[in-house]
Amino acid sequence: MQLQLGDAGDGVLNVVLIGRLDTPGVDRIEAELTTHLVRYGTRATIDLSQVAFIGSAGIRMFITIARALDRKAGRMVLYGARPLVAKVLETVSLDYIVPVRADAIAAEGVVRG
Amino acid sequence: MRSQPKGWCAANRGRANRGMRRQRVEIPFRATHAGFAHAFSRLRGALDGEGLDPAPRYNVELVFEEIVANIVAHGAVDGREPDVRVTLEPSSDSIVLKFEDDGPPFDPRGRTDPVPAKSLEEARIGGFGLMLVRRAASALDYLRTAEGRNRVTVTLPRGGTPVRSCEAVV
Repeated sequence: MQLQLGDAGDGVLNVVLIGRLDTPGVDRIEAELTTHLVRYGTRATIDLSQVAFIGSAGIRMFITIARALDRKAGRMVLYGARPLVAKVLETVSLDYIVPVRADAIAAEGVVRG
Repeated sequence: MRSQPKGWCAANRGRANRGMRRQRVEIPFRATHAGFAHAFSRLRGALDGEGLDPAPRYNVELVFEEIVANIVAHGAVDGREPDVRVTLEPSSDSIVLKFEDDGPPFDPRGRTDPVPAKSLEEARIGGFGLMLVRRAASALDYLRTAEGRNRVTVTLPRGGTPVRSCEAVV
């Protein structure tokens, strides 16, 4: 599991996640991702298009980070999930509490709005 | 009318041939994070030879992930991690995963799904794993064995079209 950070402009951070968000994968990136996003209350878009798998460990990580961001007036939007990953996000109703969008343009619209 | 089914059958004969390699696989490991990662890698290697379509394969991995993560997180007693044995039993129409561990009794069948949260503050962190297992499985069984082990058996549909209906056309 890897993450790549990019500047999306106007203070928005774009994070590309690559690999599997299973328990071993989350163990590898959670601390680093939390540090980058939460420390400064970042506004961030999270690109899931290269995530091949997500389980409840990944869901828990996103809820924990989104909650910490919310307390610091930051925001996080997920986008680009592949169909099987999107199905998991839908099953647990993650989009009730963390915005999930189809693509980067829609995600940036939410995070900048 | 037969030309299209023949093409379809050629593809499915390949699937049937891959099915010839179906075999029971046992994966024993200690319920540590390292043991989990190693066992997950072994499971994926075993699934590579099964020729599963993407959705059922995803569901098999999802069930493994959630059940084993639960054992790793909650199974230790007095600092001793449970011994775990996962058995993969493929058949022509299903995949059966059996999880045995010697941790404290845990019956996953009686748990209720988390209610969708209305805000981040009230969102639950746990409970999603077993919810995902129930959604993926066609059957979920539990037994506390006479030897004091948990045995969770999860049956998943294999998916795809039965090869039998192809044989009638060829």
